[in-house]
Amino acid sequence: MTGAAGPLAAGEIVLDHASRAFSVRADRGGTLKELLLGKRSGGPAPIQALADVTLRIAPGQTVGIGGRNGAGKSSTLKVLAGIVPLDSGTVAYGGQLVSLLELGAGFGRDFSGRENILLGGALHGLDKAQIEAKLQDIVAFSELGDFIDVPVKTYSSGMYVRLGFAIAAHLDADVLLIDEVLAVGDEAFQRKCEARIAAQVGAGATLVLVSHDAALVERTCERVVVLDAGHVVFDGPSAAGMEYYHRQMGTPTASDVLASASHRAAGLTP
Amino acid sequence: MAELKRYRYLFEQMVRRELRQKYQGSALGVAWYIVNPLVLMGAYYLMFGVIFRFADHADYPLFLMVGLVVWIFFSQALVSCAPSLLDQGALIRKAPFPRETIPAAVVTVQMVTFLVVLGLVAVVTLAIRGTASPAILLLPVLLGALYAFALGLGLIVSILHAHFRDVAPILSAALLPWFFLSPIFFAPADITDRAAARFAMEWINPIAPFIEGIRRILYDGHAPSLTALAYIVVAATLALVAGRALFHRLQDELAVIV
Repeated sequence: MTGAAGPLAAGEIVLDHASRAFSVRADRGGTLKELLLGKRSGGPAPIQALADVTLRIAPGQTVGIGGRNGAGKSSTLKVLAGIVPLDSGTVAYGGQLVSLLELGAGFGRDFSGRENILLGGALHGLDKAQIEAKLQDIVAFSELGDFIDVPVKTYSSGMYVRLGFAIAAHLDADVLLIDEVLAVGDEAFQRKCEARIAAQVGAGATLVLVSHDAALVERTCERVVVLDAGHVVFDGPSAAGMEYYHRQMGTPTASDVLASASHRAAGLTP
Repeated sequence: MAELKRYRYLFEQMVRRELRQKYQGSALGVAWYIVNPLVLMGAYYLMFGVIFRFADHADYPLFLMVGLVVWIFFSQALVSCAPSLLDQGALIRKAPFPRETIPAAVVTVQMVTFLVVLGLVAVVTLAIRGTASPAILLLPVLLGALYAFALGLGLIVSILHAHFRDVAPILSAALLPWFFLSPIFFAPADITDRAAARFAMEWINPIAPFIEGIRRILYDGHAPSLTALAYIVVAATLALVAGRALFHRLQDELAVIV
């Protein structure tokens, strides 16, 4: 995964003419015949999650990705994380570690929270000493207390998310990719997560956030990218971006509300 | 390679998890892995040592046991590799770590169990038959090659099964005749005098030289022939090279298909 532009600064992300389609089929494994022919036959047309997208995210930038359900937001994060390859084009990022946090991120259910922390670090290429140095912070942040040594299958969904976030946010990643996770959990924990993200960004990490929570995106991100049918249809400051997003969704935007309020105040609406 | 070194701790973690999961909640734990071949050994001894008597080997139960534990390692390694990538789908979708870690951990866990069981079998065999000899120094070479051979085939089976879900059932179906064609409860010379048939049994079946080589060291107390040793090393290298090549070719879409 190297870009044409040479070495990138830690935290920098460059998508260059990136395209990726996903076939939607119930049976995701293929047949031998299709492998030999190098293509798949039948079923609905593939969904284009990214269509010739070129995007450059500077180190330390905070970017929100918006768009309808199925617009390719989560897929984009998977591509940025290096988990799903592109059909064409390139993705490159600077730095060592990209951490992706999404809902229901796989834990070993029979293993304790502590063991899952070790595994989570190891999955990102950290060694034992590196993870153990962070272990205390992660346990403290997750507020799991004695539950940290109990199998994860006994956790509530809130505890599950707290553990997942605590791990992802303490790996000292150069790039932090977060998919819709902050919507879960109580408000106190949400605020704590936002503070943690802000601290990470302050330390130079790049944040890419996928969320339908407009207020959260506006609070957390300086830049918004809106995807539609695989294309970037908006790329700019987050306030304008969220307006665009609301118009696309057909929901009233903040300025619409203000406008109609002032219309009402002026007695113009019946 | 640097990549693999960076993820060494991940590999360690996976092996430990597998080991724990395997023996968790079972009262006898690792003992099952000696009980199982013992039961098989008893059955085959009754069948071929007492009833049919076509195999005439001194201490026939020991002859059987050495071959059986090697075969059980080999077949178990492949059988448990097949669904391994699907089982660990949650991890694959989470981070871009080297995917071969998963089947490698599976084979390693089988290897650990195998070494414990083979150690017991070896001690008993060497003691009863008095076959301790310098040839035993070759055993680590054979075991290392057997591990690499199983790992190479394990990589192939796991990545193919992730793409085509009928690989695991095909494998289980193939392993049964393969077992009976392998020189486990007989030596090829017991079965046939025809040179072509003997050649096929000894050299076309790639697991046969491993079984016969290990049995020759432990049961006969002699070193395997140079030809056999060369065959074993080449087979292990080829399996590993082919396994890695195929795995790398087919691994890109794993996060999407598992």
